[in-house]
Amino acid sequence: MKSNQLTFISILVLSNCLFLAASVSAEDMVRVDDMVLVPKGGFTPFFLKKDDTNNSSVLATSPATSVDAFWLDATPVTYRKFLAFVNKHPEWHQSNIKKIFTDSHYLEHWKNAQGSADSADLDKPVVNVSWFAAVAYCEAQDKRLPSTDEWEYTLTDNDRDTDNLQKQIMAWYSVPNKALPVVGSKPANGFGILDMAGLIWEWTEDFNSYMAPPDSRNSGDKTLFCGSGSLNASNLGDYAAFMRYSYRESLRGNFTGKNLGFRCAKDTK
Amino acid sequence: MKNHVMKKPLKINLLLSLLFTYTLPAIAENHEHEHHHQNKQDSVIFAPSSDSVFNITDQWVSADVKPFQLSHLSGKPTVVAMVYTSCQYVCPLTVQNIKRIERALPANQVDKVNFAIFSFDSERDTPAKLAEFAKKHSITSSSWVLAQGHASAVRKLAVTLGIKYKKVKSGDYEHDATISILDSHGIIKYQSDAMNKNIDGATGALKTLLH
Repeated sequence: MKSNQLTFISILVLSNCLFLAASVSAEDMVRVDDMVLVPKGGFTPFFLKKDDTNNSSVLATSPATSVDAFWLDATPVTYRKFLAFVNKHPEWHQSNIKKIFTDSHYLEHWKNAQGSADSADLDKPVVNVSWFAAVAYCEAQDKRLPSTDEWEYTLTDNDRDTDNLQKQIMAWYSVPNKALPVVGSKPANGFGILDMAGLIWEWTEDFNSYMAPPDSRNSGDKTLFCGSGSLNASNLGDYAAFMRYSYRESLRGNFTGKNLGFRCAKDTK
Repeated sequence: MKNHVMKKPLKINLLLSLLFTYTLPAIAENHEHEHHHQNKQDSVIFAPSSDSVFNITDQWVSADVKPFQLSHLSGKPTVVAMVYTSCQYVCPLTVQNIKRIERALPANQVDKVNFAIFSFDSERDTPAKLAEFAKKHSITSSSWVLAQGHASAVRKLAVTLGIKYKKVKSGDYEHDATISILDSHGIIKYQSDAMNKNIDGATGALKTLLH
């Protein structure tokens, strides 16, 4: 009896260990239903938060923000998936969506008023969706949008090959837009996540957060990018991050963009 | 000394603005990107493409522990703000300014306006906390509602009202202080900086809606 119990306990412990091992090693990543488990970790956000700014050293070497483990869609949401959502939830159809939830360009590239896309486009990332539509899509899947911290952390990929990542991102930002390829055309990053850079811009749950350090605003300097804000960047070389944060800063929830899509996340519990 | 300090940011700004101007087609093609500037001054919002905030159907809970939805505000114009009760300075001032707006209304019109306060702090601001906050600010009128909801409901309302906020590690919030005025159909008609001592714009907007 006793040995049985022990065996049971050791199996439990063993399976726990296996799970932990899987969650910290990208090589053994956990992927379920097109979502990947992104392990707990940290990154240095472009602007340090108020609580992190306890001294003047802005180039922190240790992770300034920790992110709990979470599930993230391996790729951005495609037309195919968004179409299925719209068919099931007609209130998000192009002809039904409430005006407060979008600007006039919602899904405007779809081929006709029925909201159907060219079949060749079905595996491309859905774009021209407002934040409200993205939130509604994720909620319908029992998911949510990733937070900005989660998204940025996933992009930094646990600091794997940072230089190369910067180059890739800048190369993408500096070329004019081309027709979008299908999702998953390029290799996954170290977390097993695809298309974080080089395909589209993505909504985050809290895109309407402050990017400027609160201290600089409180001191009466409200010039978000032009003054103290840019000087307090944790990595002045990271122009790409600056652009992403500035881009989010410029958005409103009803905006759409022909390079702006999203993917969903989920808590681990 | 000052000149010396100023030199560097200028240089960096120049670099950054060059990058913005010449190498960022994806940003430039964001629709309506020119409209994003939140006017910090009082401004009347003409939003023909916008419809009612009553389309948001999230459930809130009021200070008297009753279920609450934005659509409950229909039928009267509403003064709306977002605060959190452990906020030391900005939020009490916001409430004081809304009370000044209330006092500026003619006696026979005071009960024709709703006053709605929503909390940023979905974790700490229980209905009891909201009730305590109301008491502290001598809010007794039934025209007022204080409500708390899930983090997702808070985010959705803030995005709708164009309010930026961020939770910081201490549990406090960095947030815009904005007073919004909805018409009786839930359409945002007017917004102003809640710190603005001049309430003429807000009372003027309300009087127009009551007319």
